[in-house]
Order: sequence, then C-alpha cells, then structure tokens
Amino acid sequence: MELAIRAPADGVAGTVPGNRGIWVGILCELTEFALMFVAYAWFKLTHPADFHNGPAMLNTAAGVANTVVMLTSGYFAVRALAAIRRNEVTGARNWLIATLAGGIAFLVIKAFEFRWNIDHGVVGTGNSFVAMYYYLTFNHLVHVVWGCLGLIWAILRTSFGAYSPEDHEGLESATLYWHATDLAWIVIFPLAYVLR
Amino acid sequence: MDTQERRATWVWLGLVGLTLGSAWLGEGQFSIGLTAVMVALIVGVKGLLVIRHFMGLTEKGSRLRLLMRLYFVVVPVLILLAGSAGLVMGA
Repeated sequence: MELAIRAPADGVAGTVPGNRGIWVGILCELTEFALMFVAYAWFKLTHPADFHNGPAMLNTAAGVANTVVMLTSGYFAVRALAAIRRNEVTGARNWLIATLAGGIAFLVIKAFEFRWNIDHGVVGTGNSFVAMYYYLTFNHLVHVVWGCLGLIWAILRTSFGAYSPEDHEGLESATLYWHATDLAWIVIFPLAYVLR
Repeated sequence: MDTQERRATWVWLGLVGLTLGSAWLGEGQFSIGLTAVMVALIVGVKGLLVIRHFMGLTEKGSRLRLLMRLYFVVVPVLILLAGSAGLVMGA
C-alpha cells in the first residue's frame, strides 16, 4: 500500500513531506490544541484578573529554557533528515539521539518546574489561569512523550539500516511530529508566561 | 553542511532570539495592548518559520501548506482577542 503523498501528476514542483498517516495525526493534534487555545481565550475574557496576575506566579526561566530546548531539538531533527538524505546513516542516528536528548531535557525541566510550582503554591485549584496552565502544559507534555517514543523508534530503525536517501519516510514522519509538538509549544509559551 | 542546513541554522538562531524577545516583553516593558500585538506577531513569525524551514512545507499551491500557514494567522488573532481582556485589567 502506498502511503507517501506524491506531487500531482501534472508535474507541479515539490512534494509534501512525510506520509498521510502522520499528517492526519498532526492535524488532529493541532486541532486539539486549537480548541484549548479557544478555551484559554474564553477563560481569559471571563476571568481577566486571574490571567493578569497568572504569569508572574510561574517560573519564567523554566518556560524560556523549555522553549529554547524544544527549538534546538527541532533544529537537530532537521539535521538528522539532512544527514540521511546524504546517506550519512551514523550522522542521522546521532542527530536523532540529540533530538531525543532535547525531548528528555524538556521533560526534566518540566518536572523541575512542576515541583517548583508545588513548593510555591501554584496548584490547580481556585484559579482559572493556573487550571488552564496545567491543562495546556500537561497535554503538551503527553505529546512530547509520544514524540520521544516516535524518535526512539526512528533511532532504532536508523541503527538497523532501515533508511536510505531514497526511502526515509518513517524518519521524516517522526521528525514532522516532533516539529508539530514544537509548534504547539510556540503558542503555549507566550500564553502561559508572557501575555497578561 | 549544505545551503539548506545553513539556512536552518540561521532560522534556529532567529527562533531562539524571538523567544528571548518574547520573554523580555513578559517583563512588562510595554503596555498590555502593545505586548499582545508583538506577542501575536512573534508567534505568527515563529510558526511560519518552523512550517517553512523545519517541516519543509514548501510546495506552492499545497492545501496542506495553506492550512498550516492559516493556523498561524488564526491563532495570533486569537491571542490578540485574548489580550484584549488584559486591557481591561491594565487600564
């Protein structure tokens, strides 16, 4: 069964990266987050005081660090894809491991941040902003875990020589999902830590 | 490192710079309304950069690319809408 999305037969330049399956997953993920962003806007409009004071309650350094880690990890994923296109299998595997390390670093920082929150009384009761913050970040965290699992799969497949310059759809799909998770965080970061 | 990777490197540095800029805005440098506008613009730019240079959605006329890019037009508008609530508090 052919899953790759090919260019139209009339010869229009370029192709859509990845496969149909991963794009269904990505669009579902972004739709899910879009609904959360609408919920955020609704609660911000109906509970403005909570949201005005909310970002100051959070550990901004942890939020910035996690954003930089996600972006850097996404950059490593780009390098992994470029390496496999040059048939540099070891290089691709190493860049994927670096990408995964970024994902694990994100989870570690997030665990530290949640611990810091608890120590400073930032718990999800009685405050719409804090509830929304946990709703957004926990959901995103789950997607990061899924993305890490996809990266582990791609690392193993790369190590066993499953990908080549001509056929690396699985690797490309894993990195696409990772970028989609990055996209969601690009929106969550300012909503939680910046916007008042 | 080929041309595409060099470009991706510059994009990554730009994304990190925009992130640090966002954090700076969060320190209350400007009015709430102006901050919301700048945050919305930064989110839009960052999203479009990732879609173009990291995800590789470059095919002209692609409905998928249009849909993804539209996402990073609609969401910043939503941020502006949400930011208007802050104007009430910040007045």
